[in-house]
Amino acid sequence: MTIFFSGGCKNGKSTLAESCACALAAGGPLCYLATMIPHDDEDRLRIRRHVAARAGKGFTTIECGREILTALDHAPADATFLLDSVTALLSNEMFRADGTVDEDAGPRTAEALRELAERAHNIVFVSDYIYGDGPLYDEYTELYRRSLALCDRTLAAACDAVAEVCIGQHILYKGALPL
Amino acid sequence: MDLIIGGAYQGKLAYGKEVFSLSEDDIFICTPDKEPDFTKRCLVHFESYVLRCIREDRPVEAPLRADAVIIADDIFCGVVPMDTEIRLWREECGRALTALSLRADTVTRLFCGLPLRLKG
Repeated sequence: MTIFFSGGCKNGKSTLAESCACALAAGGPLCYLATMIPHDDEDRLRIRRHVAARAGKGFTTIECGREILTALDHAPADATFLLDSVTALLSNEMFRADGTVDEDAGPRTAEALRELAERAHNIVFVSDYIYGDGPLYDEYTELYRRSLALCDRTLAAACDAVAEVCIGQHILYKGALPL
Repeated sequence: MDLIIGGAYQGKLAYGKEVFSLSEDDIFICTPDKEPDFTKRCLVHFESYVLRCIREDRPVEAPLRADAVIIADDIFCGVVPMDTEIRLWREECGRALTALSLRADTVTRLFCGLPLRLKG
């Protein structure tokens, strides 16, 4: 089964996604696809909080900040994945370490994610809803928003279940959650 | 009149075209610097027409067709903007679209390409 979650920041997306991944795995192999490449202390603290929240839930962590399909080579065929988050993955693909911007990252990442959803036994995706304010951004931020929306729409179309998470609750747009 | 709302790039126009069988000729893309063609069935980026009204200091009045399909970005979430014009625009969009939703036969919110019916 494939599930896609999005919603506002610190609204409980990861917690709900972890519960769904654990339910889907049903005791089988459970892999956390860690996408954030830390750049500062704030990132490192955020990662420590997520690691602590996952502790004891049975996840094997696979670090994969780019080229997400390569993660499949490091997990058993019957693994259940949790990818948290699409947002960080696209950011790494688009804004490169050498300071350049890859303007084609959106379509490429969307296609890789669609293939990942197709090939993974079970997978839960987490993204961020960043579209509900005025269009007052610079060119690259707007490109990033447009590209993330393409990834989101692609996954929402491909996944069996889609829900928006809001302050720990969720609104179901498609399918049903395994809870 | 049918209203489609949602964040940027959520697939609102694609949904409207499919559900209401709109052709390219039915569609008018609103911009702040041009008066909309209210004879067209579908007005996209209605929030830009609201910005035009703000700039011209006039109420948001729209002589819509009975079968109009209005599509708008929900620009009224997020942080209160520092800029006065953008702040007024954000508030007026909220009011104008709330008023339209009262008159609308259906109101649909798009989320990542998927529709959620809020009314009708």
